[in-house]
Amino acid sequence: MIQKKVCLLGATGVGKTSLVKQFVEGIFSEKYLTSIGVKVDKRIVDLASEQVQLMLWDIEGIDRYCGFQPKYLRGASAYIIVTDQTRSQSLIEGLEIHHQCREVTDVPAILAINKSDLDVAWHWSENELNGYSQEFEKCFTTSAKTGQQVNSMFEFIAELLYY
Amino acid sequence: MQQSLIQALGIIDCSILKRVGKDQFEVLHSNTDWFSELLPESKGKTEFTFSNESAYLQDFLVDAEEFWQIGNAGQIQSGIWSEQTHERVLRLEAIAAVANGERFLVISNLQQEYERQQKTLQVARELLLSNDKILAQHEYVHERLDSLLNETQSLQDMQAPIQQAIDNANFGVMIVDSSLKPVNQNPMAFELFELSPQDASKHPLDIVLTLFEKQFPEFDRVFATASHWNGEIFWHKPPHTSKWLQLAVYPVLDEHKSVKHWLFIVSDITRLKYLLQTNEKLTLYDGITNLPNRQFFWQTLEQKIKANKPLYVLYLDVKHFKRVNELYGHLAGDEILVQIASRLTPLLGQDDLLARVGGDEFAIIFSQAESPSDCKELASRLISSIEIPFFTDNQQKCLVGLNIGAAHFPRDASNAEDLMKFADLAVYEAKKRAKSTIKFYSLELKEASRKRLELEAALREAIENNQFELFLQPMLDLDTGSVIKAEALIRWHLPGGGIACPDDFIPVAEQSGLIVPIGKWVIARACEMLSILQQHHNTLKLSVNLSPRQVSDRYLFDFIQSAVELSEINPNLLELELTEGVLVDNYDKVQLLLDEVRNLGISVSIDDFGTGYSSLSYLKNLPIDHLKIDRSFVQDLDTDENDKAIVLAVIAMAHSLKLGVIAEGVETEQQREFLKLNHCDTAQGYLFSKPIPFDEFCEKLDSKKNTDW
Ligand SMILES: Nc1nc2c(ncn2[C@@H]2O[C@H](COP(=O)(O)OP(=O)(O)OP(=O)(O)O)[C@@H](O)[C@H]2O)c(=O)[nH]1
Ligand SMILES: [Mg+2]
Repeated sequence: MIQKKVCLLGATGVGKTSLVKQFVEGIFSEKYLTSIGVKVDKRIVDLASEQVQLMLWDIEGIDRYCGFQPKYLRGASAYIIVTDQTRSQSLIEGLEIHHQCREVTDVPAILAINKSDLDVAWHWSENELNGYSQEFEKCFTTSAKTGQQVNSMFEFIAELLYY
Repeated sequence: MQQSLIQALGIIDCSILKRVGKDQFEVLHSNTDWFSELLPESKGKTEFTFSNESAYLQDFLVDAEEFWQIGNAGQIQSGIWSEQTHERVLRLEAIAAVANGERFLVISNLQQEYERQQKTLQVARELLLSNDKILAQHEYVHERLDSLLNETQSLQDMQAPIQQAIDNANFGVMIVDSSLKPVNQNPMAFELFELSPQDASKHPLDIVLTLFEKQFPEFDRVFATASHWNGEIFWHKPPHTSKWLQLAVYPVLDEHKSVKHWLFIVSDITRLKYLLQTNEKLTLYDGITNLPNRQFFWQTLEQKIKANKPLYVLYLDVKHFKRVNELYGHLAGDEILVQIASRLTPLLGQDDLLARVGGDEFAIIFSQAESPSDCKELASRLISSIEIPFFTDNQQKCLVGLNIGAAHFPRDASNAEDLMKFADLAVYEAKKRAKSTIKFYSLELKEASRKRLELEAALREAIENNQFELFLQPMLDLDTGSVIKAEALIRWHLPGGGIACPDDFIPVAEQSGLIVPIGKWVIARACEMLSILQQHHNTLKLSVNLSPRQVSDRYLFDFIQSAVELSEINPNLLELELTEGVLVDNYDKVQLLLDEVRNLGISVSIDDFGTGYSSLSYLKNLPIDHLKIDRSFVQDLDTDENDKAIVLAVIAMAHSLKLGVIAEGVETEQQREFLKLNHCDTAQGYLFSKPIPFDEFCEKLDSKKNTDW
């Protein structure tokens, strides 16, 4: 079975850990426990005729306490930039991280606009968002809480990497 | 290694492996408890082959292998990671080491370290997130209201959805008029202070204003100078209620740059503060730079004042920091702050204190100064250290500067509050310089600042009451002696009688931004004059001056274009004058602007040429038509050989670049002769005429039939 490494990157508290938890274990917790360092989780995705094992690298939120570490991207087949639609700044930071990634790798990048179950509290217009999404392979509006688009995002990635 | 010894010492919870081949290890010491959970393949063996079960470890072994191959003594670390085993989550770190020619892999269990780090970071990050959200909300409401208040004449016209959004906001919004009378206060504003909107005897606004004034010495300055302000205020209502509030104050300006309204936004941050207080490091230190914060600074300042030792308070404002944030993002901004802190710290003595007291503001208690010159010397070291370029993580270069304001205890003030207030006033004074500099507080400075405020207020009135007039000074073609152009120069008819020249008020207009409306008036008026002039003298051009601040106004071009269209003049007759300094400081903006005006047919001349530092390449690449030789070179043309040489060089250079040359400040026949002989194209100065009112100018133009003034 083939294995693919996928990194989750983004500002603090956007829901990287929660997305992985929802996808791998099917559970969600309201309590916020910030991550330190890296945690790798695995899940097998069934494609039409084959299976792919995704290795999901959940990486500590990038903020003033923890900088961007390009070395984590080594060997990654794709990465997901996670943003939080209740926090405007998380998109700006996400894009910044994306640009930094682009300096070391050109693997497919996915944009996740997370916390879709909550009211939108950022002020990006459709147009602006569409513009930003252009820089990505695909954009998903996810909720780690309800599971909305979580499976479809990871399945899309598995398929993209397999074929 | 002695297993029993390691255990006996119990220093760290780790396992030690010796590399015996690629992916093959001998177990020297292991904590069987978690080690066999992590690497089940090692169970019951002294030597085992790594099975790639742990993806993170596998990845680290790539680096480790490389390191072992090189074989130099030392070690590399994997960074902390979490490993999900069947039973639990382990918090680990791996180290690859080479010692005595042998290769080792050490894996440590950092459970406790992880928990400790997480506890601190948890608080810090929750704070960061809430703060981020509050500030974003404030900014957003401000932006929306700002544009709204600018568009509509009165708040009655406020659109229903916005009014509703304000009413339902979960933070206090207060809109007040320019004299600080409440116009609109939302329900949350009342609720925050436990007031009822029905009870008219007490307004949330009163409380906010009182707290702001009591707790922040810059209160007066903020309102006097129409500045934006952001900070935390503390409210206590006996016996038991107290709250920490985040307050943002924004001036809302009209098109004349007069304050139309003030906007106050207040959020309750008590919970955040409480979180902070559980962690002393976060209460007294700034999370970004690790420097003492504002609170720490105040405490120390008060102690030092009690001890009655002389000291200086230096207030430092980082110039252009906003630009860094805008261009490169907040992470880069934070990084620069850290670098700034680390450059400033070593310049101070043991008894001094450096703190971060605001977004881009630092403050220093400088105790070892014997005289102001010591303070000046420190300031110049601080400034030089900051003016070395900064680089962000991804190697972007940022240039910032430092404004410094200084106040002395006990000479200037005897308490902490006044000291800070005066240092703040001094830094505000320093900010007005283009270059980094230090300003000392003094009575004169206070007086000057009062005078400036008065002048500003008078200028605002002048704009509203139309007290300006444009005078024209002719420029002559040196070959034919006829008037081909005139420079429009502004005069201000003072209400008490008398006329003020630009030098008296343009600097203040420039600093306060009033230059933008004034400059627009000048352009519009010049176009009007041209439309009258072109009926009889259809080749006579008018030139108007543009200031640095005007050039930064992104609507300038639109305005020029519409003024030209409105007055139906031939754009070729309009000329813009920019100083060399504007070119150098604002190159990109200037280039864009000049390209646009060139397309329209407007010409451009560079004023005060020779006094600045514009490089030849600027002159070559920008669409420029004329250079104006500064009057200081023309003045001593008869006697000063150096000036002669400079003037000749400018003429030669201009002609080789196919630019016209204008000499200003021509006062004598000899000067005219010299310039004419050396092929200077145009001249302006008292020899021909001083600046005169428009009517007089037209009269002279007609009577002299446009020859020989
Ligand atoms: N309502 C809602 N809450 C979410 C969602 N995703 C995450 N959260 C909450 O957001 C907070 C942060 O989630 P985490 O998954 O820990 O975020 P993270 O990106 O891993 O954060 P760091 O590890 O600190 O960088 C937690 O309180 C989660 O419960 C979502 O889709 N909807
Ligand atoms: Mg996490």
